[in-house]
Amino acid sequence: MRLCRLDEVLDGQARGFSVPGLQRKVILVRRGVSVFAYRDSCPHYEGGTPMAWKADRYLNGEGTHLACHSHGALFEIETGECVLGPCLGQRLTKVPVRISPSGDIEMVREPAEEELG
Amino acid sequence: MNIIGPDYLVFGVDDLVACSEFLTAFGLTPAGVDDKGGLFEALDGTGVIIRHKSDPDLPAPLPTATMLRQQVYGVRGDADIEAIAAELGKDRKVHRLADGTIETTDDFGFALKFQVTKRRKLEMPAEKINAPGAPAQRGPNVLGVWDGMPAKPRMLSHTVLFVPDIEVATGFYCQRLGFVITDVLKGAGPFLRPKDNDDHHTLFFIRTPEYMKGIEHLAFHMGGPTELMVAGSRFVKSGYESFWGPGRHKFGSNWFWYFNSPLGTHFEYDADMDKHDDEWIAREAPFGPEASQMFLLQHREKWVPGPGPAPKE
Repeated sequence: MRLCRLDEVLDGQARGFSVPGLQRKVILVRRGVSVFAYRDSCPHYEGGTPMAWKADRYLNGEGTHLACHSHGALFEIETGECVLGPCLGQRLTKVPVRISPSGDIEMVREPAEEELG
Repeated sequence: MNIIGPDYLVFGVDDLVACSEFLTAFGLTPAGVDDKGGLFEALDGTGVIIRHKSDPDLPAPLPTATMLRQQVYGVRGDADIEAIAAELGKDRKVHRLADGTIETTDDFGFALKFQVTKRRKLEMPAEKINAPGAPAQRGPNVLGVWDGMPAKPRMLSHTVLFVPDIEVATGFYCQRLGFVITDVLKGAGPFLRPKDNDDHHTLFFIRTPEYMKGIEHLAFHMGGPTELMVAGSRFVKSGYESFWGPGRHKFGSNWFWYFNSPLGTHFEYDADMDKHDDEWIAREAPFGPEASQMFLLQHREKWVPGPGPAPKE
């Protein structure tokens, strides 16, 4: 499933995408030509909670980490591991994506049954 | 010790521009804000102060993710400052500042400041409702809602802290500073009001591991449930992220709507909180979804059923 074009996520920035059938958005973070994708779901509370403070605003002020703007938890962009905050040591759920030869960012597979809201 | 409640909450943030945008959109008004930050105030002058986290004028940070750097409590007069300084000076350093305020820390290291309150007295009507059997609060031709109606936070209402030990927290705030427990959610913690405030709570504790120590949320009083819904709906429409609500709590009876923020804590609109005096006997309930709210709703985009599809010819 196509989410957007690579050049629609600016280098060093993040964007959130609603995917039909998925309860939570998918976050894309771009670092150069690499794209990291996670579910917009902070692991602090059971069931997960949305992390942005405003549409597409998923990063901390310095742009070094994904942040949950509930309680300020910080997650490594490359691994999704929480390195500070209430869910210390837990991870964001990765979403498998690929960049197509034509420059589209695509989810590798359709959402699994248990992910459907 | 006539503590009224929080005058200001001070944050050390990593993005002053984002925080300024957020606080203004939430409905607070910049008061003397410059490129180093400043106060964003509610209608009565209470509010949130932001500085960059590296600002040397800020009290030291807690070793957690929290951006809260100081809670500034308003008291009635100079005698109350003296009483607090005498009491807390028994077992900790109390710094006296040139402006007559005092600074210290609580038993967990949360920085505190006490000042003769700077809040302005508000004289504004509460939301008015009409109901059969009762005199009309809104007379003929007085409208309940209209496009562009004001919905501004009136007053900093309360703070909720993640603390590692409830007994230590209540010991400090009740025995040392004269707060009163109004109700208890067992498994989370107690609701507290200071002596000189009849709101159900200005402070609530949630017991958490040490590494979570910090602020869970802060709240501002609105003029009523309609203002809360109007402000929250506008906030969502502008792209801000709802966390919980709208709904109505059981303990305190206040309406609520919580939002994520770039200050690493939730911002809550609240409205129509219960009042209590010393005759009140604290209730207890086990912490959980049932005890926490009377009802919980979820925002959706505006929609109207209309007449339905036109009949086929």
